[in-house]
Amino acid sequence: MDETKLIPAIEPSLPYDGRIILNTDRIDGEKGPAPVSRVDRIQTVDIIRGVALLGILLMNIPGFGIDRSVYFAILEGPTNNRDYYAFAGMATFFEGTMRGLFSMLFGAGMILFTLNKKDSPLGLSVAEAYYRRLLWLVLFGMINAYVLLWPGDILFYYGLIGMLLYPLRKTAPKWLLLLGVLCFVVGIYKGMSNYQETREKRAKYLTAVAAEKKKQTLTEEQKSDKQTWVEMEKNFKPDPDEVKKNVSKMRSGYGIIFDYFIPRNSNNEAWGMYHGIWDMLGMMLIGMGLFTIGFFSNRLPTSTYVMTLLVGYGIGIPIGWIFFSQGWSGFVHFPQYVDTYRAPHWLLYDLKRVLLSVGHASAIMLVFKSRAIPWLMSGLANVGQMAFTNYLMQSIICTIFFYGYGFGNYNKLRFYELYFVVGAVWIFQLIFSAIWLRYFRFGPFEWIWRSLTYWKAQPMKVRSAEK
Amino acid sequence: MSNNPSEPEKDLHVGGSSLSPNAAPANVFSLNTLLGIGLFGALLISIWVFGGFTPNMQTRLLSSPKGFEFRLYSTISLLFEGKMIALIAIAFGAGIVLFLRKHNEPGKPSRADLFIRRQFWMIILGLLNAVIFLWTQDVLFHLGIMGILLFAFFRASNRNLIIASVLTTMIFAGKHYWNYADDQVAYKKYLEVVALEKKIKQDSIANTARKDPTAAARPAMKRDTLTKDQKNDKQAWEGIVKSVKYDPKKDQGSIKEMRKHDYEKIYDHLLPLAQSREAQWTYRLGIWDLASMIFLGMALVGYGFFSARLKTLRYFLLAFAAIAAGLLLGWYRFYFQIESIRDYEKFVINHALPFNIFFSFEQGLMALGYTSGVMGLIKAGILKKVLRSLSSVGQLAMTNYIFQSIACTLFFTGFGMGYFGKLDQHQLYFVVVEIWIFQVVFSMYWMRHFREGPIEWIWRCLTYGKWFPLRRQIQSIDEPSPIAS
Repeated sequence: MDETKLIPAIEPSLPYDGRIILNTDRIDGEKGPAPVSRVDRIQTVDIIRGVALLGILLMNIPGFGIDRSVYFAILEGPTNNRDYYAFAGMATFFEGTMRGLFSMLFGAGMILFTLNKKDSPLGLSVAEAYYRRLLWLVLFGMINAYVLLWPGDILFYYGLIGMLLYPLRKTAPKWLLLLGVLCFVVGIYKGMSNYQETREKRAKYLTAVAAEKKKQTLTEEQKSDKQTWVEMEKNFKPDPDEVKKNVSKMRSGYGIIFDYFIPRNSNNEAWGMYHGIWDMLGMMLIGMGLFTIGFFSNRLPTSTYVMTLLVGYGIGIPIGWIFFSQGWSGFVHFPQYVDTYRAPHWLLYDLKRVLLSVGHASAIMLVFKSRAIPWLMSGLANVGQMAFTNYLMQSIICTIFFYGYGFGNYNKLRFYELYFVVGAVWIFQLIFSAIWLRYFRFGPFEWIWRSLTYWKAQPMKVRSAEK
Repeated sequence: MSNNPSEPEKDLHVGGSSLSPNAAPANVFSLNTLLGIGLFGALLISIWVFGGFTPNMQTRLLSSPKGFEFRLYSTISLLFEGKMIALIAIAFGAGIVLFLRKHNEPGKPSRADLFIRRQFWMIILGLLNAVIFLWTQDVLFHLGIMGILLFAFFRASNRNLIIASVLTTMIFAGKHYWNYADDQVAYKKYLEVVALEKKIKQDSIANTARKDPTAAARPAMKRDTLTKDQKNDKQAWEGIVKSVKYDPKKDQGSIKEMRKHDYEKIYDHLLPLAQSREAQWTYRLGIWDLASMIFLGMALVGYGFFSARLKTLRYFLLAFAAIAAGLLLGWYRFYFQIESIRDYEKFVINHALPFNIFFSFEQGLMALGYTSGVMGLIKAGILKKVLRSLSSVGQLAMTNYIFQSIACTLFFTGFGMGYFGKLDQHQLYFVVVEIWIFQVVFSMYWMRHFREGPIEWIWRCLTYGKWFPLRRQIQSIDEPSPIAS
């Protein structure tokens, strides 16, 4: 198939076959696929990835820094303080969207990686290079979860889900978008049946309680029905003893937290790799579709981006608000919530996410097109180019800042204060990425990853001609 | 499950001629034979799950280790448990290498592309097998995934593949060890709680004896009951001890569920089991279990193992040594499992290692021994007819495997005839033999008239996205078969 037809998005002057590029390093590309070189990179893709990467910390920081019980305190407490505003803002505008953008760009990157290269008779085939790369990503994800101690890791899942994308890399955009939507439908179906089960348990509990009120003796089954729901409600609410235990664990040394997280990580990963792939897979497929029509590479007219911005934000923000004000706020009063709603607000999650993610991406594209803040754009592009390094670095910085073996700030900051930490990390990563890329071609972890993939140390330093 | 060569007979007849340059005809026959054996042997173990010979019932036999049923069970377990899936995985691993070593054909998808598509359809067939045909222990799903995870290693050297195989075997053993270590920790915590409980009791007795509840009791009062965590610790160990023991009531629930007449109810009962097999089991054990054998199979291709390149005597010697070593480890497993069931507390005190610590080596060695033995037979030309019929069973491996699920589900669940939990262990093996006979006859008959099994055919059409002829024609011999490895 003609590749230029598939990617109308890219400057026609950009050579797509890696081997044609006038780059002496590429001569060894004859032996097979090689990393995407600097010349090939599409700046807007890097910028959006950079935004997504920095933005992901907005949603992750509570996971690093506070106990889950804080959510309940905020949502059940007064609505006129900074914590509440911060929570409302994050939930309405950002929840799930940065992860969404990141997934989309991951899908796009998959197309870039594979179509950029050709099989050569002697060396690695594209498929081998791609799958090796993902195997290493899975391993890095496990290291991020088990060793760097970030249970919210996504790399593990991205590595595995990425393996599902390969056969679809040449699929027409409309099918990709359709498949993406289909994934959300599966996710919604699962969520819905889960919720129905909960409602059934609730209904059984209520019958048991009603029978008890009428002074009937309960059957064994009714007793266990009642017990089931009571347990469920108890597990849902944060228990002060558990909170205390969690906080003290998180403020202890590396070994204790390491042990503490093993079951959590292994449960998460075992469950998630099978049941939890749908929203990520859906986003990746949509990202592949959007990339193929040129959405992320600045090939669509400005009016289109204005349209997608208006639609994305225009519908996404109201849904986001409902999701927060009814969904989140209702959810803390779990029994009443289950009694009130036939379907949970969670079903809106993916819709909201797609719309807002597209809205965010359009906004970035419009800013880029306006050439308004070029320094920030190139800074974000740097961050995006080193996304892998920066993602792992966020784990390293935040665990050291919050966990007991570092500065032990776990559960010490107010909710809104967490975002000062986010700001500091952002500034650091913008500066660090800019400096690093002056001297090196890839971020440090990217370099390790690439070298492992091709099982050969990759050239690292920027040569003067490329600067 | 198969690297299923569509036309092995053709390859055999054509011999070493260069019709398809990469096809190694002997490979195809040997791998099919191994698959056929694996497929048949695996049913001896699967039937336990299909028919309701539960781990609990096995525990009952192990708690009084004598008599016919116990001897039968231990023999079958020693010879087949785990080894047959391992055999299938070895053949599967070999198939990966043979499939990918073929040259790309111009204008067609590359071999790697075809391979990945094939694996995806295999995963989907596995899901159907597990979720629709209700075979909770399905292995197609896992092999499909493992193929995708491991195919990129197909260029690795023999030595590295062997190292990888040994390492993954060790990790698999390590998993068993860590589970046991958790039990040891649970026991230690239990002992602490029990000691504390004793102390509290003594204190309170002492206090009442002194009749001075105010002054002396104060320090003890603070901790005069166990905390929630301590209670949990105590219960955790008691739960473990209980789960190791035979419990006559344990299987009643599942027997009731499995005999329900409604497909949907059986489905609701089995779905969580199938899903936990596909999610949790894969993550914790399955990956290592299968990877070790797939790596081994990949390595053996490099040694020319399946094209009968070794000397006959070598094959038999290796078979003898590996099976002997495997049986020794199997004996170890049984000996200590019986001890652990007798008194798990004592076992945990006395033993640093769990009884199944060498199970991964046991199954690997035995599977290697079987592989080697079969190759010896092929090379020496012994039992030709038997091997040939097993090979045609292996040619239809996918079809036969799925047929086993359908047949057993219909026979054992209440949706069909409802024999779940009604047959004794030895009676279950009669069912197995019936299925064997049917499958041998069916496979030989089918292959006389068709090029490949019905499900293999669907699988191939899905992989290539076009229709292939299914009926056998004489001139078809010239057509290089696309799936043949």
